[in-house]
Amino acid sequence: MSKFPSDEWAKEYVEKLNSNESYQDAGKQWEGAITFVIQPDGEFKDTAYLYLDLFHGKCRDYKFSMSAADVPKSEFSYIGKYGNWKRLINKEIDPIQGVLTGKFKLDGSMMKIMRFTKAAKEMVSTASQVSTEF
Amino acid sequence: MWYFRSPSIVYGEDALSFLSELPYERILIVTDRNIVKAGLLSILHSNLPSGSKNLVIDNIPEEPTISDVTDRSKQVMEFSPDLIIGMGGGSSMDAAKALFVMYERPDLDLFDITPLVHLGLRKKSRLILVPTTSGTGSECTWAAVLSDRDHGRKNELASPEIIADYAILDPVLVQKLPQSITRNTAVDAITHAVEGHSSQWKNPYSEAMAEKALRLITHNLPAVLRDGNMKSREMVHIGASMAGLSFSNSQIGLAHAMGHSLGAHFRIAHGMSVGLYLPYVVDFNQDYSVESYEILRQCFPEKYRGESLGETIRKFFREIGQPLDLKATGIDRDEYDLNLSGMVGLAEESTGIITNPREANSQEILELFEAVE
Repeated sequence: MSKFPSDEWAKEYVEKLNSNESYQDAGKQWEGAITFVIQPDGEFKDTAYLYLDLFHGKCRDYKFSMSAADVPKSEFSYIGKYGNWKRLINKEIDPIQGVLTGKFKLDGSMMKIMRFTKAAKEMVSTASQVSTEF
Repeated sequence: MWYFRSPSIVYGEDALSFLSELPYERILIVTDRNIVKAGLLSILHSNLPSGSKNLVIDNIPEEPTISDVTDRSKQVMEFSPDLIIGMGGGSSMDAAKALFVMYERPDLDLFDITPLVHLGLRKKSRLILVPTTSGTGSECTWAAVLSDRDHGRKNELASPEIIADYAILDPVLVQKLPQSITRNTAVDAITHAVEGHSSQWKNPYSEAMAEKALRLITHNLPAVLRDGNMKSREMVHIGASMAGLSFSNSQIGLAHAMGHSLGAHFRIAHGMSVGLYLPYVVDFNQDYSVESYEILRQCFPEKYRGESLGETIRKFFREIGQPLDLKATGIDRDEYDLNLSGMVGLAEESTGIITNPREANSQEILELFEAVE
């Protein structure tokens, strides 16, 4: 079990993502980094950042930090409060519906991301495959 | 949490007269030449508020491109309408939606029309959509399809803010619809109902709309095609809008993803293209959508019901003359095979991929394209 969010959780997530064949297929033409931003709420007091360098269906590198200054700039950010991340990881929220209902925010080129909705969904859904402790 | 979104719908005989009481003074009408030739623009004109100033853009082409819309935006800005009416099939209504956004927010790019961007519309005008075919459902949806010929793709632009303020369903506008268009557009509506009902985002509202839509269309379409029965035509018209409401609130699936892709590579009526793939996609999804498909199967008239939904759809399509194989669409098999890789790539970019009841990877999508006889 890995505590969410943490470097240990991020490492396991990246391993799962890199072995997710559906993600590799859907993201085979994707080039660009994304940062997951976990925002504070009643349960979690800090802001956490997980930077993922994604290229052609693989995550080449990652960086987890509790400080925005420590992670490289990314083309996209997927931003939500801790409680909503918890629900997403527990599969109680669909990652795309989460954005449409305002529980998550997606920053970056909409034109690009809308062509890769399956890759985006697979990427976020992979979080639910990590054995997570909250 | 989820939403059910719908325009206010004015329907039935004389529904167009609703327009005459509206408090608008500068009205833009977006339509195409066939609507003018068929005399439908005159019918619309006779129902506009007296004294209103009108500008008509009557040259929206079939399957409009991004530049077809941007080229006309200056004209719209100069006219400064307080009401935009899109009248026609999906092309004119989708162009009206895009022009509405460009007029309201000239600072935005058309590709900003996504559910993820707050557009902040309706500061200058309102949008009314008036369908003259029974099938696209565009009058009820928050999507607009614009082609991009440079990249050989159809862009599915979508935002809840581009849903019309009113949709007006007046049966007089579809009274003389040619048989081929009646069939193609109704097949599109059937596909909307099936995909809206079985989508991964399905909900009680989308299911209810799809079931009623499918009943209305399949129970009335054969009579419309046979003798143009007017009461049946009105029911198909309403059914098509309900099918639009279904998929608009739950999303399309793989048949639309593949149909859009085929349409980007070959000149083929949209309804014919999505209908071509629907039975194959339904067979592919069958084990992942057992309950939904059984309900949908029961919505067809008994004489068409086969053991599965796929078989039922094939029987019904055979009855109405919807092509079930490539040859009947007029597409050359060799040319089709040459374009397979590009078609798979485009289908994978469709949002229909993520809401189809069964996840499909590249190889499975390729096999579905190849399966079409």
